[in-house]
Amino acid sequence: MTMIPMPAHPEMLGPANPPHAPGPSPPLPSPASPAAEIATRLLRRPTGLAGVLIITGFLLAAFAGPHLYPGDPFDVAGLPFSPPGEDLVLGTDYLGRDILAGLLHGARATLTVGAIAALITLVIGVAIGALAGYFGGALGTALMKITEFFQVLPTLLFAMVLVSLFGQTLTVVTLSIGIVSWPPVARLTRAEFLRIRGLDFVKAARAAGAGAPYLILRVILPNAAPPIIVAATLAVGTAILFEGGLSFLGLGDPNVMSWGLMIGQNRAYALDAWWTVALPGAAIFIAVLGVSLLGDAFNDAINPRLRRRT
Amino acid sequence: MSAPALLEVDGLFVHFEASRRPKPAVVHAVDGVSFRIPRGTTFGIVGESGSGKSTTAQAVMRLVPTTAGAIRLDGRNIIDLNGVALHEVRKSLQMIFQDPFSSLDPRRRAGNLIAEPIRLLEHRSKDETAARVDELLAAVGLQPSAASLFPHQFSGGQRQRLCIARALATAPALIVCDEAVSALDVAIQAQILNLLLRLQAERGLAYLFISHDLGVVQHMCDEIAVMYLGQIIEQAPNSAFFSRPHHPYTWSLMTAALPAGPLRQSLKKSYLATGEPPSPINPPNGCRFASRCPFVVTRCREEAPELVAIGTGHWVACHRHDEIDPPVFA
Amino acid sequence: MSSDPVLVLDDLSIALATISGEVPVVEHLSFSVAQGSTIALVGESGCGKSMTALAIMNLLPQGFRCSGGRILFEGEDLVAATPSRRRALRGNRMSMIFQEPMTALNPVFTVGEQIAEALRAHQNLGRRAAAARALDMLRAVQIPAAENRIKAYPHQLSGGMRQRVMIAIALACRPKLLIADEPTTALDVTVQAQVFDLLARLQEEMSTAIILITHDLGAVADIADDVAVLYAGRCIEQGATRVVMEQPLHPYTAGLMVCVPHLQPGVMAARHRLLAEIPGMVPPLGQRPTICAFSDRCTRVGNDCLSEPQPPLFTLAPTQAVACLHPLQRETTA
Repeated sequence: MTMIPMPAHPEMLGPANPPHAPGPSPPLPSPASPAAEIATRLLRRPTGLAGVLIITGFLLAAFAGPHLYPGDPFDVAGLPFSPPGEDLVLGTDYLGRDILAGLLHGARATLTVGAIAALITLVIGVAIGALAGYFGGALGTALMKITEFFQVLPTLLFAMVLVSLFGQTLTVVTLSIGIVSWPPVARLTRAEFLRIRGLDFVKAARAAGAGAPYLILRVILPNAAPPIIVAATLAVGTAILFEGGLSFLGLGDPNVMSWGLMIGQNRAYALDAWWTVALPGAAIFIAVLGVSLLGDAFNDAINPRLRRRT
Repeated sequence: MSAPALLEVDGLFVHFEASRRPKPAVVHAVDGVSFRIPRGTTFGIVGESGSGKSTTAQAVMRLVPTTAGAIRLDGRNIIDLNGVALHEVRKSLQMIFQDPFSSLDPRRRAGNLIAEPIRLLEHRSKDETAARVDELLAAVGLQPSAASLFPHQFSGGQRQRLCIARALATAPALIVCDEAVSALDVAIQAQILNLLLRLQAERGLAYLFISHDLGVVQHMCDEIAVMYLGQIIEQAPNSAFFSRPHHPYTWSLMTAALPAGPLRQSLKKSYLATGEPPSPINPPNGCRFASRCPFVVTRCREEAPELVAIGTGHWVACHRHDEIDPPVFA
Repeated sequence: MSSDPVLVLDDLSIALATISGEVPVVEHLSFSVAQGSTIALVGESGCGKSMTALAIMNLLPQGFRCSGGRILFEGEDLVAATPSRRRALRGNRMSMIFQEPMTALNPVFTVGEQIAEALRAHQNLGRRAAAARALDMLRAVQIPAAENRIKAYPHQLSGGMRQRVMIAIALACRPKLLIADEPTTALDVTVQAQVFDLLARLQEEMSTAIILITHDLGAVADIADDVAVLYAGRCIEQGATRVVMEQPLHPYTAGLMVCVPHLQPGVMAARHRLLAEIPGMVPPLGQRPTICAFSDRCTRVGNDCLSEPQPPLFTLAPTQAVACLHPLQRETTA
């Protein structure tokens, strides 16, 4: 639909003559803090609400799960391959371990890997992209060459090499995912910085006395944020998938229960006992969907110019 | 004329490289421009796109690197200043841009935007800054409640008022107005021009007023310079400039800007320039206006004319300035 | 001038659909243009002048629609016409030029191809014939070295050249009606004058009717025979340009005339003289009252202005109509 032009506030203009004695005007509704406004707008969108609900659900599971199932998820809880609803709500896997306990405990590991890997992606990508975009020149060229070098490496293979070299621990898995995923974020950040750097309000900030750190962090970055935040949110989803992929190939941390590990260990029995693979698979699917919905809604909510859409 | 003016621009050059390959191309954006602006006065620069008027404004603001020349504020050359010294200069030198939609950071509230120069350039307490923001909003005719709104919640004219409040924040002596009203509707333009005039009378501000609109310039400026392809080709005090302009390019600009009517119709035939300005990349050697000038002779294409004085403060750069009588505009 | 008007707008209204119902954009607008003559639609941004143009061309953006009235083009009601009929007229019998020639031209085709495309689409010309006519058009719009420029891409031309190419495309099929939406706003002042001259000359050759959309009344006085001043979607004054310019009757028109600092060579400017300004601003879309929309900014406002709905245009002089309860007085002596 179309934007309604300028919801301006004519009452804010004081009388034209004299200009220094603005007459009394009806008090305007005082807008809430920016964070609160964004949150309201986010929750008002169906996709945003769905994303928030899904993510909150998984976070609750991740924190409450180990208390509901205080035992070790690796413990045998019943007969192997018992289907959902017989002894245990979601059945058992090939070793007789409780699938529900695995899902709840695994949520913690999977979400942690996703969040931290995305954070690493974001920090490296934004730092390199921002410096390359703001300063340009030789520094920019050098940084983009490095980015291209990382981008042409096959990501899964590179992550597998890192995990094989430094050990199959959750920390190494997380770091590896972060290290292989940042180049697209860096390119996006650089493009946004190049675009915004030339706008008048950046010049205006320079004329007002702003230096490079202030311009990068306080002026350009907030305006470059929407697409970067969306990319980072989507990176959480990618990282979750990545962790699943590594575990599926047997390169996850075998000592920490995660959804990927469950799929990887049960994959040989997928046709005989579908629930052992399908349930953790569904968990990954829904988590990634929730993160994507959230990222999309966040993109719309954070942009005040889209607010007045009819 | 002996005491230093507030701003003195002396032999300013701004060149930049457009490309290195296949052959070097240098844009002569500003090519040897000099002028002075006394305290409390308005100096206008008119010209078409590519004339270098905006680049001159940005060079004065130290927003683009200069190739050569001096820019003196109160007698002190600011061209090589950096760090703290440049901060001191920025307090007395502020700018208003053409497009109030793009010159305000869309993610900040009005109050924050107005306070930004104060925060960056002066050390004041939060309360002092807030009081100053209220005072500035009132000075530009906005309600104090406007401080908590985002730029997109204002109309174009109100946004330009915000830009003016922001420019006033550090009590500058000179404000550079780069086409500050050309993006506004005519009724709003009058409001903003009046605001600028009132602020000048109250605060003794000087303006460097960049515009393409001769009517606005005549109304606002004490002294006017016409730029063409990076150079000043005529400069004069307001009355001399508008009563007896001497450069054929000025004639062309004035003919185009005349109110519709028989006078404009008759002057258009002989005085309106044909074509469009050539590119400022590697400009020609002779007079830069030669390619469009109705009065061009061989000498114009071979030899660049110097600015010569033809009256008090009236300068013109034309080989034929004493051969051809200026048209009668009124 | 022919007596049959090319285009008649009869009580045209345009509305925008919003979540809270339809909002009027243009209300009860009527005017006509005769063959070879020009009418200027004058007003500030948001007054509905561009929407009127887009409605005539059937190019209204999504959400906008003609909510009443008729658009009669050579006697045929366009509001009732089928989309395919309107497409056939557009670019052929009626065409439009826009403010920004850079974005209105397709960057991946040469200007010759773009002019020829209009001809081939509407006039069944072959490739050769269309190319030849394209070259004629480029010459007609006074582009120097047209033989070479015909192979140029839009980015290789200056702003003034691009607007000339736009005019060549618009006039290639010799349309009956040309709509020019702020055709010179993006151009330099000397080039503006050149483009207006060109339009006037081509109009004379082709006896095209022109609707000129502008925000500056003074700039179009040479070209426009008639003028309609729009305020907040309503026509508040209409008449012969010279008459309206010399003696505006609506306070808004009068305000528009004096708030622009027009160039006055030879006149000594008083230092710090303030311009006559119209205080306040145009009411935004959806917040227009049924009373006179200008009443909150008007110096001549009376009690009846605040209680009665905005009056329709009524004729005050032979060639001048105004929608105001307290119009300025016509002076009988000069």
